[in-house]
Amino acid sequence: MDLVVGVGDMKVSNNPEAVIVTYALGSCIGVAVYDPFVKVGGVLHYMLPESSLDPGKAGKNPFMFGDTGIPLLFKETYRYGATKNHLKVMVLGGAQILDQGGLFNIGNRNHTILRKMFWKNNVTTNFEDVGGVVNRTLKLEVKTGEALLKISGNESRKIPWI
Amino acid sequence: MDLDIIIQKIDSLSPVSATGSRVMEIISSPNSSLEEIVDVIKYDQGLTANLLRLCNSAYFGLRTKVESIRQAVAYLGLNKVAGVVMMATLSKNLTAAQKGYDLNEGELWKYSVSSALIVQSLAEKRQLGNIPCLFTSALLKDIGKVILGTHIQDAFQKIILSVEKERLTFLEAERKILGIDHAELGAMVAEKWRFSPEMVFIIRNHHDPMKILIGDDLSIPIIYLADTICMMVGIGGGADGLAYRYYQEVMDRLSFTEIDLQNTIADFWEKNKAVEEMIKMSGGN
Repeated sequence: MDLVVGVGDMKVSNNPEAVIVTYALGSCIGVAVYDPFVKVGGVLHYMLPESSLDPGKAGKNPFMFGDTGIPLLFKETYRYGATKNHLKVMVLGGAQILDQGGLFNIGNRNHTILRKMFWKNNVTTNFEDVGGVVNRTLKLEVKTGEALLKISGNESRKIPWI
Repeated sequence: MDLDIIIQKIDSLSPVSATGSRVMEIISSPNSSLEEIVDVIKYDQGLTANLLRLCNSAYFGLRTKVESIRQAVAYLGLNKVAGVVMMATLSKNLTAAQKGYDLNEGELWKYSVSSALIVQSLAEKRQLGNIPCLFTSALLKDIGKVILGTHIQDAFQKIILSVEKERLTFLEAERKILGIDHAELGAMVAEKWRFSPEMVFIIRNHHDPMKILIGDDLSIPIIYLADTICMMVGIGGGADGLAYRYYQEVMDRLSFTEIDLQNTIADFWEKNKAVEEMIKMSGGN
């Protein structure tokens, strides 16, 4: 059963039948977490770095922004019994258009906010594939934690993160 | 690669219906009034039915259900109705999967409609005069991909190598390896379908906005900006990914700040569900 995570969306599940999927990460960031002990997984797909842009929109949909979405992803997996020490963490996306520098480089800014938050909260990542000019699609099997990364134009490959 | 074989494929596209081409003529011609659209489409029952369905979709958020073209024009305005007619007319050529670009069924259409809707909203904010023409150009700008798709598939490794090693854009790599790119092919389709020279020019140069930055025309900058947003958000994202050139000069010309960029992305996404519904309703008719 595919649980599709749209853009500005999050899904967490411990249903062994579920495969959490998120398509076409461009400059957006996909964060996946998995606790192999309680077998709960979650994926967040956020599009913009900071909710200060528009607190009203962040209130309605906190998954649009990195700074409001990331804490919710972790908290939601804790509700399912996951613990921070056991969580495997993966980060994908943050692509950029050629020669896109500075403030307009949202891919880079999306990644920067995540790194700041992870640094502050002592979270280490088990796998990252970030940047470049490609679209990425992720599939996460809740039963096993097996994850497949597909870069558009290429075949899927298994991610070594568990 | 035989260029003639690629170009001949333009003939294999589904021709635009008589009503569709008449509406396009009206949109393209500076001497026509958009009012004429109403007279043209009222005799086409299929198109009228599609048009009313789309005008009643959640995207437009009308409180009253419109039941005639006149009503649709009264509530939405001619610009939007013209755009909806073009969606209903052009969808059949843009909905199929494009394997070469790694696009599943409906993804190219999603990309086309999303960028056209963003163009419409940016152009309305700036009160530009030729909105249906811009909307249609945005909708059709990637039709060259439909023709080039199978050839891309065969030459994909070479193309991607040029992108990675030589830092070419995907468009430049298409031209280098296949002798032609999807923007040029799109312009050829627009010529064959007798679009206005302005629209042909926009389609040909939609990845090359520097060509027109000398003049005052904001058409290509606006289309380029909408395309940039769709690429970044990954709407209908394919094998060409984000491998196109970014021009800060375009943002400066439009006085578009990075906060504007983020707000436009956030605004568009707030309407995501309604957009998705309209994409589904308009595709495959």
